[in-house]
Amino acid sequence: MGQLVVNGLALGSIYALVALGLLLIFNTVQIVNFAQGQLLMLGAFIGISGAVTHELPMALAWASTMLAMALIGIVFMVLVYFPLRGRPPFLVILTTIAMGIVLENIALIIWGPLPVSLPSPVRGPPLRFAGVVISMHQLFIFCTLAVILLLQYLMLTKTRFGILMQATAQDLHTARLVGIPVNRTIAVAFAFGAILSGIAGLLVAPIFLAEPTMGGSLGLKGFVVSVIGGFGNLPGAVIGGLFLGLIETFGARYISSNFRDAYAFIVMIAVLVAWPRGLFGEKSSEKV
Amino acid sequence: MTVKHWFPLALGVVVALLIPAVTHDNYVIQLLNIAILNAIVVLGLNFATGWVGQINFGQAAFYGLGAYTTGIAAKAGLPWITTPFLSVVIVMAASLVLGLPTLRLRTYYLAMTTIGFGEIVRLIIVHWEPVTGGTSGLRAIPGIGVFGIGPQGQVQHYYLLIAVLAIAALVAARIRQSSLGRAMIATKDSEIAAEQSGVDTTRTKLIAFMIGAVYAGLAGCLYASSIRFISPDSFSGTQAILLMTMLIVGGMGSIPGCIIGAVGLTILPEALRFLGQWYLVLYGLGVIAVIVLAPGGLASLASRLPRWAGAR
Amino acid sequence: MTDQAIITARGVTRRFGGLVALDDVDLDVPKGIVQAIIGPNGSGKTTLLNALSGASHADAGSIRIDGKEIFRLRPNRIARLGLARTFQNIRVFSNLTVLENVKVAAACNTPMSMLNIMLSNGTQRQREAEIESTSREALEIVSLAARADDRPTQLPYAQQRLLEIARALASKPKVLLLDEPAAGMNMTESMTLLDTIAKLKGKGITILLVEHNVRLVMGISDRVAVLDFGKKIAEGAPSAVQQNPLVIEAYLGRRHRHA
Repeated sequence: MGQLVVNGLALGSIYALVALGLLLIFNTVQIVNFAQGQLLMLGAFIGISGAVTHELPMALAWASTMLAMALIGIVFMVLVYFPLRGRPPFLVILTTIAMGIVLENIALIIWGPLPVSLPSPVRGPPLRFAGVVISMHQLFIFCTLAVILLLQYLMLTKTRFGILMQATAQDLHTARLVGIPVNRTIAVAFAFGAILSGIAGLLVAPIFLAEPTMGGSLGLKGFVVSVIGGFGNLPGAVIGGLFLGLIETFGARYISSNFRDAYAFIVMIAVLVAWPRGLFGEKSSEKV
Repeated sequence: MTVKHWFPLALGVVVALLIPAVTHDNYVIQLLNIAILNAIVVLGLNFATGWVGQINFGQAAFYGLGAYTTGIAAKAGLPWITTPFLSVVIVMAASLVLGLPTLRLRTYYLAMTTIGFGEIVRLIIVHWEPVTGGTSGLRAIPGIGVFGIGPQGQVQHYYLLIAVLAIAALVAARIRQSSLGRAMIATKDSEIAAEQSGVDTTRTKLIAFMIGAVYAGLAGCLYASSIRFISPDSFSGTQAILLMTMLIVGGMGSIPGCIIGAVGLTILPEALRFLGQWYLVLYGLGVIAVIVLAPGGLASLASRLPRWAGAR
Repeated sequence: MTDQAIITARGVTRRFGGLVALDDVDLDVPKGIVQAIIGPNGSGKTTLLNALSGASHADAGSIRIDGKEIFRLRPNRIARLGLARTFQNIRVFSNLTVLENVKVAAACNTPMSMLNIMLSNGTQRQREAEIESTSREALEIVSLAARADDRPTQLPYAQQRLLEIARALASKPKVLLLDEPAAGMNMTESMTLLDTIAKLKGKGITILLVEHNVRLVMGISDRVAVLDFGKKIAEGAPSAVQQNPLVIEAYLGRRHRHA
């Protein structure tokens, strides 16, 4: 039981990270990136290329992955977001999905279809108490989530960038008029959004192995979390992520592991039927 | 109907009828049969997505529900004639259950619930192995036949499916010309103005969604009993995305666009097989290019063509 | 009075957060007149219109159209009970033709059957023919018949407003709400609009007009109600309202504050 909680929370932390990446982009440009899972997958593979193929030290592999992800995020923005600014969300969804297909198949061409493993950046014997085993990697995941949550909170509320981001989100046109470097702000949001999913990829690869098709389902879990937590809601994303991790772990253990991926959607549909704007509400509102 | 309207239509019908005379390759005909079935499904998707403007990634699941209902019923020994009705009843029930609580949701949420619905249906198909055959699917499904009379061979199936597609397109065109079709488009253009003009937008959304599901369910029924082999891969989330891109690339809201998009994007991967994995990379980029450069799809490009010609 | 009134609103109240946009508003509109609602910006005119038409429901109150309670009904039900409207920000159906725009509303009380549509049988053809003739008549009234097959976005701004009026007319309303119909119109266009409104009044349709431009409404209206800060501060014949010190204060006071 306690073990399931730990495993569920570790899984949920990864979902929360995907959701936090989505949130960063959503809060700035009000679009939902349906290729976030594929960005996660790229993060995992770039990490593997660094740490396994080129045998870089782990810290260096992580750092280079984050740098690469920032660049990918900006390229992504130029290819997907700029041409579609102001177009209906429907088309943005399809464009990001199409971009996901592109990224997934590029990864298949570069890295092949076989699953690959990435070692954890932390080593050491697992902690045990009261029959519950917490591996060092799980501990590392919890710490990473906590640090990122803190940093993101500080960034959004205390820094100049956070204020610029909010201004951009509220009214792009006015933001530009008052001299906010709108494009640079958006670029930073996309870069950080991609970095967060890259980190999620680096964290998930030591547990589940990495393969080019891994992104689809993980990306969708990120959305389910965003929906449960309310799009653009920081605590909502974290609580939603942990909640989903627990649901899946317990569902797989006590109901059926075959339907592991279905629980997320069942919970999401139930939440939306009861609260059409997500459990924690949505930050943005529309005019009637 | 002017010459501008009926000439391309007549040309399309003649080409469609002549194809089996040109090629005797069973593989080509079977591919075309699948393309025609996809065209029916995309015509169905057009009601909710093209006209009402509601995103829907559940269409592949309705396709699959129709196919599996027919496959399971026919293998259990029920006469073929019952299977279209069973498939329609099942997809109508499913679309009602999914549509009623979710169609009021906003775009992102609706996209997610329909994706989720598709995943749940797929997981049920994959894991309910004794009935559905799991990942290996159902084989040797009994063919189409009423009192022992039914199409034999790929070519006869081809003509049958062309006839069904023609009816499906005709019904879609009639709906478009009726108050229902206008209500659908009005709902997309301005929900509040449609409501204040007396359109029950909630009901219109649900009807469009359900008609689309019925199209998919019937296409699924015909898929199972003409291809005679079904597996979960044919109705997965990837398939839902492919159906959506067929609609977008062909031209949302345009009946010929739906058919062109579905047939084109069903045949294209086979024609470009030599590209291997690169095909899907180009596919994704191609979809982005169409969305960015020609939001009305290929149908809108075709309608622009005469104007260019006239300008010269 | 009440038995002749086509609109009877009692205690209509609407809050947005802490702001009271409509404060206990009563309104009686007699059948067949042109009633104007005026007031400074943000006085609650459009909010009242939205409450009447169901676009954005009031929080409390009672609204009767021709004796039927419509409070909190969905807008499509209210439309079918005989209340049609136009919008301050033009909302035409851009993917339909001008004629089809009007047909949407013309079909509002026509029964619809899937089977008839699929068979395209006699019943269906006759229904569509009726819808078409109603729609063409409505376009005729606003002099847009010649543009029937164009897209509404090809029309100039003022004609798009007239198209909205035609669309509203096609539902054969008892009451027609016009939300700032003259906004963005030049002098000639406004004159055409006033002629059209007079024509509609002649047909026995009750017209409720929300206007910012006070001078425009005074000539055409039989009665004027004045809103300020969500409260009805005056009501009566145009000449009487113009003399009302409360009204002058509301308008002038506001103007001074702006200056």
